[in-house]
Amino acid sequence: MAAEGVEVVVAEDVAAAEADIMKAFHDRVGLGWRADLAAGIFTHLDCIDLLEVVADDFFDAPRGEIRALKTLASQVSVVLHGVGMGLASSVPVETKRLEKMARLADQVQPQFWSEHLAFVRGGGIEIGHLAAAPRTADTLEGAAENLSRAAALVGSKAIMENIATLIDPSGSTLSESAWISGILASADCNLLLDLHNVYANGLNHGYDPKAFLRQIPAARFRAIHIAGGKFISAPDARQGLLDDHLHDVPDPVFELLEEAAVLSPNALTVILERDGAYPSMGCLLAQMDLARQALARGRARRAVAEEVPV
Amino acid sequence: MSARVFEAFLTRIYVDPGARARFKANPRAEARRAGLSDEECAALENTDWIGLEMAARSFARKRQMKRKPGFNFAIVKFLYRLFAGCLALFRRG
Repeated sequence: MAAEGVEVVVAEDVAAAEADIMKAFHDRVGLGWRADLAAGIFTHLDCIDLLEVVADDFFDAPRGEIRALKTLASQVSVVLHGVGMGLASSVPVETKRLEKMARLADQVQPQFWSEHLAFVRGGGIEIGHLAAAPRTADTLEGAAENLSRAAALVGSKAIMENIATLIDPSGSTLSESAWISGILASADCNLLLDLHNVYANGLNHGYDPKAFLRQIPAARFRAIHIAGGKFISAPDARQGLLDDHLHDVPDPVFELLEEAAVLSPNALTVILERDGAYPSMGCLLAQMDLARQALARGRARRAVAEEVPV
Repeated sequence: MSARVFEAFLTRIYVDPGARARFKANPRAEARRAGLSDEECAALENTDWIGLEMAARSFARKRQMKRKPGFNFAIVKFLYRLFAGCLALFRRG
């Protein structure tokens, strides 16, 4: 019994120390808003620092839904996440989509909005998901122009997310890290670093995810996505990791989160994404706690390296 | 102009199984027919064929996904669960 008591006290001390170090760096951990998770989210708002809402779901929503979203945003910090603009493209982004994001941002007042470094359509055909653009000077320049237009129309710069891809895009002349770094520099915007995407791309295309993190500018890390995926068999029997957001966050992603916390000089907003096969809310909250622990470990290492008191 | 044509070509082979099969059978001819440059045609000959097939399947699955229930539906579901819970407690007590 006495040993159990000591363990509880030690666990509480560790949790308090983690909370302190996260506060010192102003890091936060939130969850992707999904309608299926609404009940669990509303009853655990005290454990969720912020919610990420998929903006496209609300672009053409009736007034009642917008009102409900505004009510949600008055109770908890909200960020908007776009999925359909296709900004990383040589094709100019559609003004209509930017106007919808601008209107929603005006209504909801999110802390920030984000989109993907992807193309989603070409020649009038919708791909239906995020596709990796050929990593060339043309798409780099096109993305920078699109991001500039987006910032002007929406009224704030988008934070841009790296995507997962099962195919190394044909015609690429730049490495993924050089292409992402180039866009961030040209558009002067920050990065939503999706760590499961980095992990998946590392496995699928044969690079070291930790080395990748050191090749992109850590000063632009602002937000982080964590998620899980599954291995799928390719026609040649090789395995590919699919970023399906239907599984728990694997340990290597938490290890990458720790590394990102070591590298980043700025406050980080970590968001757990889950798109289906929902586990219990307790399981999701436990993964958010693991994220807090990884952040705390990384920040402690950073503080030691910089000799910063926390 | 060519970057846009290139993206349109990639889109077509991602979403259209027929276009993809024709491209796999004769990459250079299909790319040339789409109006791509010699350099782009050469790049497409080095396509990651297995990756292309996996990506195309993944995109197809995504397109098939049904629209998720809306925000109000979630609120109603939450209130219903809350009401059912209260009712159960009332009956027990």
